[in-house]
Amino acid sequence: MTDWKRIRGDFPVLSRLIRGKPIVYLDSACMALKPRQVIRAMNDYYELQSACGGRSLHTLGKEVSDAVHVARESMCRFINASDSRECIWTKNATESLNIVAHCVELPKGSKIVTTSLEHHSGSLPFVERARHDGLKLEVVKSRDDGTFDIEDWKRAIDSDTRLVSVVHSSNVTGTVAPLREIVEIAHDRNALVVSDDAQYAPHHPMDVRSSDVDFSAISIHKMCGPTGMGLLYGKLEHLESMKMFVTGGDTVSDVRFEDGEILPTYLGPPAKFEAGLQNYAGIIGSGAAVDYLTSVGMHNVEHREYALLRATLRQLKDIKGIRIIGPDDPDLRSGVVTFTVDEIRSAHDVALFLSEEHNIMCRSGWHCTGPYHYQVGIPPVYGTVRASFYLYNNMDDVRTFLHALCDLLESSME
Amino acid sequence: MEDKGPLTTAEILQAANSEAYRGICDECVGGDSFVAAANQLVEMGLVTKQLRKGGYHWQRTGVSA
Repeated sequence: MTDWKRIRGDFPVLSRLIRGKPIVYLDSACMALKPRQVIRAMNDYYELQSACGGRSLHTLGKEVSDAVHVARESMCRFINASDSRECIWTKNATESLNIVAHCVELPKGSKIVTTSLEHHSGSLPFVERARHDGLKLEVVKSRDDGTFDIEDWKRAIDSDTRLVSVVHSSNVTGTVAPLREIVEIAHDRNALVVSDDAQYAPHHPMDVRSSDVDFSAISIHKMCGPTGMGLLYGKLEHLESMKMFVTGGDTVSDVRFEDGEILPTYLGPPAKFEAGLQNYAGIIGSGAAVDYLTSVGMHNVEHREYALLRATLRQLKDIKGIRIIGPDDPDLRSGVVTFTVDEIRSAHDVALFLSEEHNIMCRSGWHCTGPYHYQVGIPPVYGTVRASFYLYNNMDDVRTFLHALCDLLESSME
Repeated sequence: MEDKGPLTTAEILQAANSEAYRGICDECVGGDSFVAAANQLVEMGLVTKQLRKGGYHWQRTGVSA
């Protein structure tokens, strides 16, 4: 049986008192807290090595190179990739998505398909690629609750489609897209699929081989890892044929100088996508983060969050004046509860009150999903409130959150 | 606020996104930067805020409602 109390104790931030009271952290969909194991791994790098990996032969350099290798192997196992060369370190999921949007070869006249539910990072890189190269772009509209009709995908992905960008788990509705079916439809029509797994990977077991997705963008800071770290998974054959995103040191096997010309010979993945000196502490911390999550067990994490979500939704539905965004059925969503308060138009007021009066940290705004907010008739300027759960949350957090909402409604009646 | 007295966050954000203030409020679409800035004015003692019907009402310090 999982010792959730011990796990909660791994996160030093949760022992803080603010205004004399403990905090309730419900903003993990934006940034997950870091366990001691991750902090220690990064500190160890700075205190014991602090050297370059992959280029210096000395002992410290070798230790860093080995640690980077181990971290990549851990990440490879975590997402069940078949080859660690398929795992590219990036600075965030946004960069991962931009690499795909800009570096995949797309012939003239081809089409990109995306959705109205995407985070801006899942749509804008593809909007810009389509604009730049004069490609077609079609948007599959989600239902207002964030679910999809698979027939819409069958219609949108046609023989011209070469690339599909889909958010696997929404950062607003928490709904999970039918990725395997989408991949199957796309592959039938010879199109590649990139899934935005920023909100999926931290909360569910990942299996890129089972989903058969071509690319996956992951945000490591949302899964107990360091800030400024992301991952791009890509099938080796695609990564090999793609253009480079950034070139420079560490991307080449040779650079000759002949007849007044500089002639580079570039390496294959992952090196071709990891130009320049890397964030070694971040990579080592990322490895520690996935090792930590693996030790807890991603199925355990998933079940834990469902339990918290179920308890929250069951009671939230009964609070008059709260509109829940997304499906009522907790089985259709990940650990995110987004809502508006009828009598308080600005979601920022709700978040401010929860923070200042109850030490509850949750997010307000449009969550970088302008199109979806416009679709459901919520002006982005007023936004929505999002409470997001992770493995360190407990039922006390749920109770405090619900009590605070009732307090808010009562206080704003006067 | 000087002209209209206490305003709710929603009223201020609506105004901030209007043509009249677009030039000085180009990050106001999401609303969060504005609210963070307004709250700083509260901490500096220049503005007060009070939760009432409709959300927080913001007012210049020393001006009665």
